[in-house]
Amino acid sequence: MVEIKFPDVGEGITEGTLVKWLVKLGDEMKADQAIAEIETDKAIVEIPAPKAGKVLKLFGKEGDILKVGSTLASLALTGEEISVPAASTPEKKIGAIKGIALAGPEISMPEKAPEGSSKILAAPATRRLARELGVDISRVTGSGQGGRIINEDIKKSMEAKPEIKPEACENLPEILLSEERIQIKGVRKTIGERMVRSLFTAPHVVSMDEADITELVSLREKEKITAKEKGVKLTYLAFIIKAATVALKQHPYLNASIDSQKNEIVLKHYYNIGIAVDTPEGLMVPVIKNADKKSIMELAKEAEDLAEEARTRKIKLSDLKGNTFTITNIGSIGGIFSTPIINPPDVAILGVHRIRDLPVVINGEIKPRKILPLVLSFDHRVLDGAQAARFMNTLIDHLRDPDLLLLDVT
Amino acid sequence: MPRKKILDLSVDWLSILDYEGNADKILEPALDNETLEKFYRTMVITRLFDDKALKLQRQGRMLTFGSCLGQEASQIGSAFAMKSDDWFFPAFREHGVQIARGIPMKLLYIYWMGSEDANLMLPHRNFTVAIPVSTQVLHAVGAALAAKIQKQNIASVVYFGDGATSEGDFHEGMNFAGVFKTPTVFVCQNNQYAISLPREKQTASKTLAQKALAYGFEGIQVDGNDVLAVYSATEAALLKAKSGGGPTLIECFTYRLGAHTTSDDPTRYRKKEEEEEWRKKDPIKRFRTYLEKKGIWNQSYEDKLLKEASEEIEKAVEEAEAYSPVVENMFKYVYAEITPDLKEQMDELLGFIAKRKR
Repeated sequence: MVEIKFPDVGEGITEGTLVKWLVKLGDEMKADQAIAEIETDKAIVEIPAPKAGKVLKLFGKEGDILKVGSTLASLALTGEEISVPAASTPEKKIGAIKGIALAGPEISMPEKAPEGSSKILAAPATRRLARELGVDISRVTGSGQGGRIINEDIKKSMEAKPEIKPEACENLPEILLSEERIQIKGVRKTIGERMVRSLFTAPHVVSMDEADITELVSLREKEKITAKEKGVKLTYLAFIIKAATVALKQHPYLNASIDSQKNEIVLKHYYNIGIAVDTPEGLMVPVIKNADKKSIMELAKEAEDLAEEARTRKIKLSDLKGNTFTITNIGSIGGIFSTPIINPPDVAILGVHRIRDLPVVINGEIKPRKILPLVLSFDHRVLDGAQAARFMNTLIDHLRDPDLLLLDVT
Repeated sequence: MPRKKILDLSVDWLSILDYEGNADKILEPALDNETLEKFYRTMVITRLFDDKALKLQRQGRMLTFGSCLGQEASQIGSAFAMKSDDWFFPAFREHGVQIARGIPMKLLYIYWMGSEDANLMLPHRNFTVAIPVSTQVLHAVGAALAAKIQKQNIASVVYFGDGATSEGDFHEGMNFAGVFKTPTVFVCQNNQYAISLPREKQTASKTLAQKALAYGFEGIQVDGNDVLAVYSATEAALLKAKSGGGPTLIECFTYRLGAHTTSDDPTRYRKKEEEEEWRKKDPIKRFRTYLEKKGIWNQSYEDKLLKEASEEIEKAVEEAEAYSPVVENMFKYVYAEITPDLKEQMDELLGFIAKRKR
């Protein structure tokens, strides 16, 4: 048997992304036949097998990041008798028992370096990056020349896990230490980077309110059937998008972005609404373009189609771009309040939560009403609390009285 | 006094073989079938050698390598015009010339696997690979001047690329060769790209061949994918050099079909369509059509050649991988006799290794 390693195919590369397997388990390979395509910093390269044989095992799946020197595949050399497993079963590293609550192991954070103990060597751009990412630069170990801290060190220190003291774990039964490690990549990585940038760039303020949507609920119940006949699932989200575009038109500073280079606020006269969608890979935000020009039925249809494309990863990159305002609908899963992070380059995001039957006092009488909790996170550089509250009022008015929505149709 | 033209210079273009396998009757060199077959065989071996090297690199069995795919005619045509007593100075892509000059493929693989032992560059008057761009131009001019002073009837042939023509060493060497009329043939393989820099951004000159005119000698642009044209031009230049006529610059107009090296991705700087156009001009296919018409080539000959060449290459790889480098050799193979300063360096390194082992 021979193991095929991923070699340094450039000059000094350290890792590559597995683009494509060019063979499958059990395939008979010739010597020098390509086994996989790997993308490095320099190029996409084909890795050929050094000898002829049968593919016994392929390590990793397409999209994985591989370190130089790691094993790609193993081959049974021609003439060797080794049985080949029928299908690939990913190896599980997870322990047998899950879900046992245990006190967290003692975590020690590195002490903050005493003031002025040693000079921090870092370029102004690196210091700025540290500030932006909220990293205490005095705790970062430099890997550059003469201990200089470089951008890479700052980024790494963000990813670094707190050190776990080994003695704290020593007496725990092995099974309780069962853990799983999932590499941060792809959608997960993008979310992380965008959210860190957003949260550490825009000063977030969160405003919460409720809308009494009892009438909207009965309207939807009534129209749902007609919509279904037309093949459309009439969702609350469609009404909320419509109401949001109406409110955005009246409060233009919520449909805006910041051009930090020119130090300008950009007010947008188009309304592209991002819809946060929960997918197996992580959160994705497809964008409904020119939402203000579309009917509620059209919005319902498009939101559903885009969400499906996102979940099956068939979505076009262009459908994930160009948002001017974003709505995150967490209500369908649960929770009554949250503090969403603004989706760049927007300056505000609307969180929509679970509709509940609540007692409401109307004209001195307690009545059961359908209540929709709403949350608005906004960028305080562009907006103040008063503007945000006025926007919310307009939004709530339109959700409470769906007739207004019909009047506003453009 | 009137204003008048005092200089009227020109550059010739030479192409002999068309793509239908017909050679120009007047320009066609008088070569026997055996020689033509040797040209073809060496071009094919070079291509297989090259392809194997790329695979070895991708398998982590060899270091960075620059493919000469597409440049076989420029290399083989010029190499076979040389006599074994002529000096050969390569850059780093001249695998075809090296093979034609009889350097064992095993040695070439050993070199690209990272061992300086291969710098012996056997059998005779083959200079070692020059990685720094155009430094070898100076060496070649120096060797030619030495031959001239010693009244040896030989010449030196130096290879470099289009990018080298922007380097100082190239111009110093060319100027010196012109002034001293050294027996030097400058073979510029213009493969259109200096790593990622296209030829038209390299120089505003219409040709690279015309650079020679400024230094007072002949420059010619040759169809670099036509092995007969390259052979004829080089043979004529060598004849002239050895009869006291001085140097010549031959610009072989060709194309690098592969990447600059294994660390390069040409899709970032050139279009697929351009590569496809040049693929149609494959020098091996072009020569094959000619040989087929002459009755030298047929499919069973090809099959036999491919089989033999592959076996030869596999054997060379096997031997290269079985070879264990000798540390002293990288010092010993620089000069015919080791110089005192190199001896000192060698002793220091051997001492260091001995200490590490203990």
